[in-house]
Amino acid sequence: MSRIRCMITKEFQQLRRDRRMRPILIIAPVMQILILGYAADTEVRDVPLAIYDQDSSQQSRALAQAFVSSRSFLVADRSSSFGEMEAAITGGHSEIGLVIPPSFGADLESGRGAQIQLLVDGTRSNTATVAMAYATATATSFARRLIASATTIGAAGPAVEARTRVWYNPDLKSRRFMIPGVFALLIMVFTVILTSLAIVKEKEIGTLEQLIVTPLARHELIIGKLAPFVIISLVIITLTLGASWLFFGIVPRGSLGLLYALSLALVLSTLGMGLLVSTISRNQQQAMMFSIFLFMFPMMILSGFVFPIENMPAPIRALTYLMPLRYYLIIIRGIFLKGSDLSVLWPQLLPLLGIGTAVIGISIARFHKQLD
Amino acid sequence: MASAIEVRDLCKSFGAFRAVDGISFSVPQGTVFGLLGANGAGKSTTIRMLCGLLAPSSGMARVAGCDIAKDPEGVKRSIGYMSQKFSLYEDLTVIENLRFFAGLYGLAPRRIETEAGEIMSLTGLAGREASLAAELSAGYRQRLALGCALLHSPRVLFLDEPTAGVDPAARRVFWDIIYRLADSGSTVLITTHYLDEAEYCGTVTLMHAGRIVAAGSPGQLKRERFPGRLVEVECDNPEAALAALKADPRIEEAALFGTRLHAAIAPGAGELIVEGILASRGVGLSRAESILPSLEDVFIRVISESEKEDRP
Amino acid sequence: MRDRLAALMRKEYRHILRDPGTLFTLLAVPLFLLVMFGYAISLDVNNIPLAVRDLDRSPESRALVASFLASGHFLPSPSPPDSRAEGRALDTGAAMAVLEIPDGFAAALARRETAPVQVLVDGSDGTRAATVMGYVDGMTMRFSTDLRRLASMRSGSPPASGPAMVLDVRPRVLFNQELKSVSFLVPGLVALILIITSVISTALSVVREKENGSMEQIIVSPVRPIELILGKTLPYAAIGLVAAALVLSASAILFGVTVKGSILALAAMTVLFVLACLALGIFISTLAETQQVAFLISAMLTLIPTFTLSGFVFPIRNMPPAIQAVTYLFPTKYYIEILRALLLKGAGFGTYWHQALALLVYAVVAAAAGAARFARSRRK
Repeated sequence: MSRIRCMITKEFQQLRRDRRMRPILIIAPVMQILILGYAADTEVRDVPLAIYDQDSSQQSRALAQAFVSSRSFLVADRSSSFGEMEAAITGGHSEIGLVIPPSFGADLESGRGAQIQLLVDGTRSNTATVAMAYATATATSFARRLIASATTIGAAGPAVEARTRVWYNPDLKSRRFMIPGVFALLIMVFTVILTSLAIVKEKEIGTLEQLIVTPLARHELIIGKLAPFVIISLVIITLTLGASWLFFGIVPRGSLGLLYALSLALVLSTLGMGLLVSTISRNQQQAMMFSIFLFMFPMMILSGFVFPIENMPAPIRALTYLMPLRYYLIIIRGIFLKGSDLSVLWPQLLPLLGIGTAVIGISIARFHKQLD
Repeated sequence: MASAIEVRDLCKSFGAFRAVDGISFSVPQGTVFGLLGANGAGKSTTIRMLCGLLAPSSGMARVAGCDIAKDPEGVKRSIGYMSQKFSLYEDLTVIENLRFFAGLYGLAPRRIETEAGEIMSLTGLAGREASLAAELSAGYRQRLALGCALLHSPRVLFLDEPTAGVDPAARRVFWDIIYRLADSGSTVLITTHYLDEAEYCGTVTLMHAGRIVAAGSPGQLKRERFPGRLVEVECDNPEAALAALKADPRIEEAALFGTRLHAAIAPGAGELIVEGILASRGVGLSRAESILPSLEDVFIRVISESEKEDRP
Repeated sequence: MRDRLAALMRKEYRHILRDPGTLFTLLAVPLFLLVMFGYAISLDVNNIPLAVRDLDRSPESRALVASFLASGHFLPSPSPPDSRAEGRALDTGAAMAVLEIPDGFAAALARRETAPVQVLVDGSDGTRAATVMGYVDGMTMRFSTDLRRLASMRSGSPPASGPAMVLDVRPRVLFNQELKSVSFLVPGLVALILIITSVISTALSVVREKENGSMEQIIVSPVRPIELILGKTLPYAAIGLVAAALVLSASAILFGVTVKGSILALAAMTVLFVLACLALGIFISTLAETQQVAFLISAMLTLIPTFTLSGFVFPIRNMPPAIQAVTYLFPTKYYIEILRALLLKGAGFGTYWHQALALLVYAVVAAAAGAARFARSRRK
């Protein structure tokens, strides 16, 4: 035990002297949450809309107005021909085009029913799908209002109406979902990078050999190396929590204590991964490459951070179960948005702890072999 | 006297390469033992096996009574090791480095302070407690590294090229410390390629291509290898002289040392034969005198002999 | 000059070939990402776990449930027995939406009334939730329309108008007709590969020479700075271009993402982007003394912005003006916009000349800054 304390004292003494590292540790997480918090916004709003109104009747203007006043669209262009509209979409000035045919007003008056056309830029496929649905919904609610106001159109018939209630994030703010994700990502990136350099650095400067000839046991060395990073990651967690409250007004709905406790479970596994990288790489350069390409990239893509897991094919979905971030994202989003407690989150906690123990176990085992 | 280090048929292979190829030796308690040889001869690999850093491929070794293969942790408790490269924390101060290693060896806090104080005065580091290791000169760094290896009063001390890159005055100070340690009963195993330093060792062992090719005290080795006389020759055409001397059966060995030649004369023959041989070949001789062989002479001889054996 | 340049480039190629880690990075990572983007990940809103609590248990209610599941957007998850279980399904994430059909659903429809159903949506991921709500609206509307048609057929009376009959919306998708995510992500991926090969490898390889002192050796030789820089960068540029071509052909063969516009223009624009990247890489190498610092700077200036600030995944237009201004500082944004125009829209130069100009300015400024700093460091 006293040997572990000795290692920890040494690590902090070194950190105190590392003048370049301290600002990075404090400023980088805050900067990242600021930029990512603003940038990682997947809401579909203010979609630039081009309107080509061939009718110019009272009804067509009312329909156009329905689009103008919708939060989803922003009128970017009033086209006077098809060619003009297509050019606006090809050039990227508009992403969706509303074409109102010449007979629109007359068709509605006569009760025949009118047609409108939507031209959608499918380049950004997910935005396009959502924008298309929004445009259809805007047109439909316009039609509903017409039916309600006009008595001539005929009696109502059987219908189903969905009364939708949205839980947890009623105004559907993308940021409220993304910020906890960014939070998780930052903890992962910092802990993996920091620890991946921890042992390989001593290997490079030759002090590792010196440590190994002392009676310091493997687990004492590893725990002594890890413990300071646990404390550092607690600082990073606190900083990012503070920044997301300060800049975005986003605070966890659930218990802060639980958030810290479960974050430690993630930190256990990410520190373990960093250590594993550190024991298998020969120099710092390699350690950085390994941690980015073997751990961070797959973790970013396969954890559900932006890309939904349920869309993945089964073999790849199986891979996601190996990613500690997968479980932690559910935990952190649960605590932030749903106010979840342990009774809901334990199925995520168990695999997280399992992976953490396994990875640290492997790196202790690998570490021993490394000396031979 | 009990052996502090006992090595029998120790081997270490890296793939197909045999870095250490069946060596045996023993080092009595309280002596200074020099392990010599060129780079790649297997010295560092041997030291690393004895310290428990590398597992031997075969063979047996006991250090301070502990089997290095079966009880490497037991070995680690009773040895001090100073590696080839300066390997302390440059971003810690002198006293922080000492306290850190003392802590790793499990010294009680009170003992840490007294031991650290003693080490500082022994190594002449007193007054530099608060300097960062990075700010020390090479000589002081080596002494600090030695100090860190001494904190727990190890019975056996392994020093791998401890004086590499250190100026001669600092090397002298360093050796004074080593003698004091040996006098107080510690056993020191040291590798070096400064052959003048090897003369300070009680026993030296020469390694070549993973094998021990000569062993004994420096004096004993010189007597064994040069039973006849050794003559140092200065002449106007050293290359021609070398060829002439090597061709003569009465000269056992001739080697070039810079512009001078050393010629080992077979027992029984007089030193004047050198002048005769050179005169017969028309080489102008400016000086020829009988000298005492140095370890360098011994090693050149031993290695050329062992290479002859390898290529029958 | 040509001989010296050739010698430098040969040396660099040998470095690359003898360093399997680098080769792995340059080839395996883009491939991994392409396969992931093509087969594994999509931003489409599909496979939404839907829990249904049908209290009516009538043929009509079952027809409604069937129409939800037949849409392909939803996957059934276990039915909650009571309303507390509905909440719990959302809490645990077992379901993202819960459809509750109240008792009396079929009876209301029989009376030709509007029958309400309740839908609970987990709004955590606001964007997906909004899409789910759109699906729900669309499906209930279509279901209502069918009901009315059926009712009018049975009674022989003219059908009552629903909104769908009053206003018929005909959407037409112009580019990427199948709305595949992979088409949208490939341009970003190509940009990412070029960034990794051109900026990061260049910066690291120059700094590596600085670190181990071989830079001094080269500087004291008669090699001119321009030769040195070209010799170090061209091999990586070549690898980058080959990797980019591989990714483009692989995405054409595997995912049918073909180049709609001019291949020549694509090549020209890519070379322009690579030039900008190389200039940036050289500039970074003059800032850093160690590989670690070079890596951190290039990650900050290229890798991270490529993911977050280039419109690769997150739309730039949603960002606040200050952050939008920042996006103009990174060359990837321009290149991705050009690639999307060329790859998916088949647009002509008239639509993307601003971006091309921006890249050109970027390359010139970065090269000038790099050359100035390099010259200063040589004099020191």
